Amino acid sequence: MSKKAPAGERVVKEEIENDPILGYAALPGIADEMMDANGQIRPVWRNLIAHLSRLSEAELQERFARADRYLRDAGVFYRTYQSQGSGGSGERAWPISHVPVLIDAREWETVSRGLMQRADLLEAMVADIYGDNRLVEEGILPPQLVAANPEFLRPLAGIKPVGGHYLHFCSFEIGRGPDGNWWVLSDRTQAPSGAGFALENRVATTRAFSDIYAESHVHRLASFFVAFRDALQAQKQSPDDRIAVLSPGPANETYFEHAYIARYLGFMLLEGEDLTVVNNRVMVRTVAGLKPIGVLWRRLDAAYADPLELDQNSRIGTPGMVQALRSGALTVVNALGSGILETRAFLAFAPTIARRLLGEDLMMPSIATWWCGQKEEREHVAKNIERMVIGPAYTGLPFFDDNGQSVLGSSLRETAKETIGEWLADEGAKLVGQEVVTLSTTPAWVDGKLVPRPMSLRVYAARTEKGWQIMPGGFARIGSGDDVSAIAMQTGGTAADVWIVSDKPVARPTLLTPEENFTRNMPGSLPSRAADNLYWLGRYIERAEGSLRILRAWHLRYAESADPNAPLLADMTRYLKTIDIDMAKAVPLTLLRNIDSAIYSASNIRDRFSPDGWLALNDLSKTARRFHDAVKAGDDAAHAMTVLLRKLAGFAGLVHENMYRFTGWRFLSIGRHLERSMHMTRLLGHMCGPDAPDGALDMMLEIGDSVMTHRRRYNVNTARLTVADLLALDHLNPRSILFQLNEIRAEVELLPNAFVNGQMSPFYREAMRLHSGLAVMTPDGMNEEVYARLESELEKLSDLLGQTYIG
Amino acid sequence: MLYDLTLHMGYVYDVPASGARHLIRVLPLSLPDRQRLIAGAITVSPNADEKVSFIDFFGQQATSVFVKAPHERLDIRMQARVVVEAPTIKADLSPELAGLKAELAGLLSVDPASPHHLAGTSPRLPEEPLIAAWAREVVKPGQTAHEIARAICTRIHKDFKYDPEATTVDTTPREAFKLKRGVCQDFSHIMIVALRSLGIPAGYVSGFLRTIPPPGKERLEGADAMHAWVRVWCGDAMGHVELDPTNDIPAGTDHIVVAYGRDYSDIAPVVGVMKGYGNQKALQAVDVIPLKQ
Repeated sequence: MSKKAPAGERVVKEEIENDPILGYAALPGIADEMMDANGQIRPVWRNLIAHLSRLSEAELQERFARADRYLRDAGVFYRTYQSQGSGGSGERAWPISHVPVLIDAREWETVSRGLMQRADLLEAMVADIYGDNRLVEEGILPPQLVAANPEFLRPLAGIKPVGGHYLHFCSFEIGRGPDGNWWVLSDRTQAPSGAGFALENRVATTRAFSDIYAESHVHRLASFFVAFRDALQAQKQSPDDRIAVLSPGPANETYFEHAYIARYLGFMLLEGEDLTVVNNRVMVRTVAGLKPIGVLWRRLDAAYADPLELDQNSRIGTPGMVQALRSGALTVVNALGSGILETRAFLAFAPTIARRLLGEDLMMPSIATWWCGQKEEREHVAKNIERMVIGPAYTGLPFFDDNGQSVLGSSLRETAKETIGEWLADEGAKLVGQEVVTLSTTPAWVDGKLVPRPMSLRVYAARTEKGWQIMPGGFARIGSGDDVSAIAMQTGGTAADVWIVSDKPVARPTLLTPEENFTRNMPGSLPSRAADNLYWLGRYIERAEGSLRILRAWHLRYAESADPNAPLLADMTRYLKTIDIDMAKAVPLTLLRNIDSAIYSASNIRDRFSPDGWLALNDLSKTARRFHDAVKAGDDAAHAMTVLLRKLAGFAGLVHENMYRFTGWRFLSIGRHLERSMHMTRLLGHMCGPDAPDGALDMMLEIGDSVMTHRRRYNVNTARLTVADLLALDHLNPRSILFQLNEIRAEVELLPNAFVNGQMSPFYREAMRLHSGLAVMTPDGMNEEVYARLESELEKLSDLLGQTYIG
Repeated sequence: MLYDLTLHMGYVYDVPASGARHLIRVLPLSLPDRQRLIAGAITVSPNADEKVSFIDFFGQQATSVFVKAPHERLDIRMQARVVVEAPTIKADLSPELAGLKAELAGLLSVDPASPHHLAGTSPRLPEEPLIAAWAREVVKPGQTAHEIARAICTRIHKDFKYDPEATTVDTTPREAFKLKRGVCQDFSHIMIVALRSLGIPAGYVSGFLRTIPPPGKERLEGADAMHAWVRVWCGDAMGHVELDPTNDIPAGTDHIVVAYGRDYSDIAPVVGVMKGYGNQKALQAVDVIPLKQ
């Protein structure tokens, strides 16, 4: 530190020392991201720290709350497998650590160069492993590490990727050692996750620090995604090809991210069953027929991709996918089989392989690793056991994240240490030793003050048309305690945004292309499974509403008479039984199940669904569950139903006001209208019969929300004919059957393949026929028999929709 | 020995299946100095909408067929004519276990014929301490790898009962080992696990057995369906040796090789995925008719 330090710098330091909230001291002998070895704040941090020190605890908490609120409102979550069994949704909020990690752009240059070289190395390795196997033949890579490797997928051997590259998207976990240099802790090549979380982390953090972010020269993340999106576009063989993100489905821990990335980049989000292979081409089933897939960004492990040639137990794969790859019309990101590069034992050979395949030394070393299948290496590990982590050789998981499969040599009992040599000699081929590394620390906000916490970085590399590009940022995993040994990063950590700070203003790209050459892209073809889920979402939502309306009418009457055996109530109880609703509970279980089914359908199409709608639906479910436990029959229940109806209307309104009117909307809408028409038809058939109890017609009007209209339109008392006129045949009444059929007909006309060779499709014809048939009816013709026939015809219409579009 | 082979595999579905894709590996291999496929064909009924053949990693011809329309049954038929040479008797040139280990370590290859593929675990055959302990008891000090393989083969034949009712195609080696019963697949799997646990690379062979025994000889077990036996690597000098634990004999002119793999999952005769529900019934008929000696 020069004696002529700028005045500002000294002020900042004093403030920090004087500020009890910001009393921060790096741990002895450990590198710290914010403080240099002399206890000075690094230049890139000064602006942020100066700001922080001016904020009161309350202001700071208010800012953090902003970030949390953003994540909650955006619905950012990841799924935890453990919590699934214990009830609850198994979704956990993203654990943000609010203080970002700041890194100087010049240092990041060096990190980026090191990781680009590493990505090249991995590409060359995987090409050799699935190609000529020179590394094995020349004695550089031991043969068993390939042949006994569960990630060596034999059906892929010899298949060259269509674009020439195996790897397109990788991530690296890197950490900084005590000497200040970076180390690679692990490589992710199978289906690297987290890039979407990095984006959301960035947005959330800038909510908390919008002012500071705006005036700091922080590199933006968007250009990285633009470049990768463009690169994937360029991989397509023909303009008609689709690009899709292939997800294992909503049960996957990072499903949110799959949906997020697909939506962000404008790709389809698909699951294995959306795909089929026809004449060696992978096709997506859409409501407009089969469409070719050109690029699949897979988020599922390769072994599950094809139950015919890979893991035969996979239920989430696409039979024939490997065959399609053999004939070369599809790019998979990353190529099936690339997961082998994650093998922990490979780290031991990376330096030699780099020299052999690239003719270079590694710019960024990986964590020192010894494969115990070799004698000298094994002996080295045994001799230095105190400084080693011992773990499985073939695992793809890094030692700090492998569910406790790795053990710290120093934690072994003395007796175990004595026999370590024998153990390694017996089992060595399956084990690696890795040097225990310590990580750097970075400030985290804990209990009202900044404290140093260990961190490692997750960094992403994407292959673009100009070669590898490194995401300027990523996210930092922050340890929960102050144990800086990397193995302590296993559980309970948080994630912080990473700011790459330049001393000059940075470019501010967005995902959008410049205004002058915009085109209006119509949404791509709707996958059949998504159509199915939208249709059933519509039906379940409407089913819930229909039940709620009947239940409210029932409880209002029960509140007056307190007699469940009064003829009208008893009759309705019987009716409700026929639709599976048991009146033993004021808020029946069937209702909760309908709402859950709606949520389940919605959860399968998160990429097409606004976060607001999702939150509204979950709120509805939570409220219904609470009522189910607490609410009593009568007034209390009637009120509860009103609350639920209002929440349901809120959801419907969000969807109605915000959803783009395209194919997806039509399926949702057809689902709602069809369910409502079925509900009305069934109910009218029951309540307008000659032996319906007294008050049934009034109740019918109430359920159909048409009491006032009826009073206004007919100068007679409620009668069978006027009710049929208003609730069945009035095309202006949004609750009438004819209204529903009118809407269905209009939507169906706009669906793909409504006309085949200029002729109406069977489905369109049937929708048309039902509509015209009802439109010419008169109220006196509407009897129980007509309602019963219509009900079964509506069921058939639903089946026909399934056959035509869902398959 | 010249054989005419016919194989019929039928699948009958309670509820019609559709969009069915099957991967079939049933044609005999051509192997230098061992057997030659003169002619062979696979037919499928109903007619396949797509039919593609390719050579898989271990060198076997695999045929992928796709039947789109709903069908109540699927029939796969294979006909082939094969010449099988009488095997040359190999002298036991195999080393002891330590020597075998060293020879294996020095073999720098992962090409499809490399024993490294047969040394580790494989999808159907994880490590099995029960079987490993049993294998250690069978081994006598000083035995060569080939002697050990023969000893284990004999022990399986002696201690285990051939019983098609006891196990299914999905039975694990551990289950069959505890039952002490099973069929060729179970015995082969147990033998492979045992040999691998001792450090001897071993793999799975699928194929056919001649159905009509030579005059005066007993019919071999397992001849009424596709058969399986074991391939053992006995070191650089001796190479691979094939042993049939179901009958406790080396594979000879009665054995016709269809495919080599690490275990059943690599070379299952038929793997299928289809849309449908309900149960299915499978039937299989094999005829291996010797035409002349």
